[in-house]
Amino acid sequence: MIAILLFYPLAAIPVVILLKSRWVNVLAVLIYAVLFAGISGALYVSPAEFTPFFGVDSLNILFLLVLALLFLAVSVYNVGYMRHTTVSPGRQAEYTVFFLLFVGSMAGVVLSRHLALLWVFIEATTLSSAPLIYFDRSRSSLEAAWKYIFICSIGIALAFVGIILLSLSTGRLESLFFSDLYKNAGLLAPLWLKLSFPFILVGLGTKMGLAPVHAWLPDAHSESPSPVSAMLSGTLLNMALLGILRVFKLMELAHLDYYARNLLLLMGFLSLLISAVFILRTGNYKRMLAYSSIENMGIISIGIGIGGIALYAALLHMVVHSLTKGAFFMSAGNILHVYKTKETGKVRGLLERWKVYGWLWVGCFAAISGIPPFPSFTSEFLLVKGIFGKGYYFQAGIFFLLLTLILYGMGRSVFGMSFGGGGSGESDKGELTAGKPSPLSYLPPLFLLLVLLVMGLYLPGPVHEVLRRAALELTVF
Amino acid sequence: MIDFLLVLFAATLLYVSMTSRLEAYIKVLFAQGLIMFCMTALESPDLLSFNFFFLALETLGFKTVVIPLILVKVVRRLGIRREVEPYTMNFHSLLIASVILIFGFLTAFLSLDPAQAIKPLHLGVSISTILTGLFIIMSRKKIITHILGFIILENGIFMLSLSIAREMPFIVNLGVLLDIFIGIFLLVVVLNRIHSTFEEVHIDTLTDLTD
Repeated sequence: MIAILLFYPLAAIPVVILLKSRWVNVLAVLIYAVLFAGISGALYVSPAEFTPFFGVDSLNILFLLVLALLFLAVSVYNVGYMRHTTVSPGRQAEYTVFFLLFVGSMAGVVLSRHLALLWVFIEATTLSSAPLIYFDRSRSSLEAAWKYIFICSIGIALAFVGIILLSLSTGRLESLFFSDLYKNAGLLAPLWLKLSFPFILVGLGTKMGLAPVHAWLPDAHSESPSPVSAMLSGTLLNMALLGILRVFKLMELAHLDYYARNLLLLMGFLSLLISAVFILRTGNYKRMLAYSSIENMGIISIGIGIGGIALYAALLHMVVHSLTKGAFFMSAGNILHVYKTKETGKVRGLLERWKVYGWLWVGCFAAISGIPPFPSFTSEFLLVKGIFGKGYYFQAGIFFLLLTLILYGMGRSVFGMSFGGGGSGESDKGELTAGKPSPLSYLPPLFLLLVLLVMGLYLPGPVHEVLRRAALELTVF
Repeated sequence: MIDFLLVLFAATLLYVSMTSRLEAYIKVLFAQGLIMFCMTALESPDLLSFNFFFLALETLGFKTVVIPLILVKVVRRLGIRREVEPYTMNFHSLLIASVILIFGFLTAFLSLDPAQAIKPLHLGVSISTILTGLFIIMSRKKIITHILGFIILENGIFMLSLSIAREMPFIVNLGVLLDIFIGIFLLVVVLNRIHSTFEEVHIDTLTDLTD
């Protein structure tokens, strides 16, 4: 089953390239998404492995399920996106090829049981998604793609230095399988392990979008096509998070976690600070969402750094952020499609002109900002409880302050776009109000929001169980 | 012999930091590839093994021949032969590179520990190479020089992996090689695009996306 997940893209690519048909493109992605969802569900019920290198455990099943759910929604949204695009069939086929490779390499990251193999797949996600970012062929998307490949490649290269240092610490063990590392954690040389963790954290943190190595993220997220933005923000960042968590567990087992925790807290708070500053400044709503991703990655790494109940909260927040940000970027894509601008100031009266898109936009904002009944309330509440539980009152205060600033910055933009100045007499108003929103464009984000609503009102038993087991996997008693 | 090669490798770092000609950079990459091949050949216990074949492909085929060839082609086609355009003076660059080198050797001798299976001189040179690569990326304006700096950084990482004399599984080696190759290939492709879109290949032109 795992083999299907990994090899489907390779099998589908020749077909896509040869036929160059719009429907084949869309179908290839849809079939992969359905297969992905089905197989992930099956792996949840009965864990399996494929060669010693790939397998499912109680941590990565969580990431696999999130990836599957978001990919399913995006693949439906993608049908609508591809219908509107005007580029040549060759370019569409190219888009589909790289999209499939991108998702396939993410599946590889999730399922890897070997540290260096995980590295290989994370680098593969960079390489396969860079052409997607440059899909628009504009000057700015070229700049974004360049920064993305270059910064992430350097980051990933530093992570490899960390992996080499880590393998130095293994002494006679000579294995980088996670299970071997975990079993022999007590035997690892602490000096090399301590040296390796900052490299791995900075390297994978680049990919995860943690400040101060986040520079590529706003550019890449804002310039890529909307389905790609949703996948980048909702799933790609999680892949690097999984890598960091895997190494973090090793640090815990080697009793070096106080050191790792402090680094995570530092980068987490720095991410919150950076995103608070830039969310207030930016005049581009897709960039605003990108900074919000940095913020949420910061929240998650703070949660991991605190540990205990906050770790559970961080994992819950990871799920919530993925689903919300997926829906948010798809909504942003809808707005971009009808208004043809990414500037926040030029979008006005969304609720009046495009009721569905407007309500989705406001709904996504409510979901990301922790307003009950959405589950981000639960996760942030538990996280703050964790911070208080540790006695970090000062840090909790900073956390609240920065979160409030971010909420204000996003709220100002979102409400300005949704309500403000509907009848400001623009000449193109008639053109803008024409047309009916297509169900393909609003049903996927709506579906994700409904899932979130259910999770917020009543966290279903199996979901809680998956989260609990993942948190237990990461906790060392 | 190995030590001699390592010193030679360190010397290439000093040369690359003071020169301002692009051809010289590419020649240095070629020389580094060759040195790395000689080192793997000298250190490999069995010259007929599959692992050695793989390393030879990586160092001789890939780092010595393919990458310099691609780069020479790009430089010729884009006509950016003249100079590197650093932010700092050549003399200062040389000074910084020397400091980096001294730092590398210092860490090497501080980590001298008979219990660890690590070769100190390898470690020192590889740390210096990685830092020099980063320094070149930060201190030069031309985008092509950034790619060159990145390749030097990758060479440093390769040296680091030589210093621990330990083998990764085959599938991992293959993946790493493939990733790095595609990465450099993509960077060159994007460089071509940037050149045809912006007509100037300075990093200063890539400033559209800011807040």
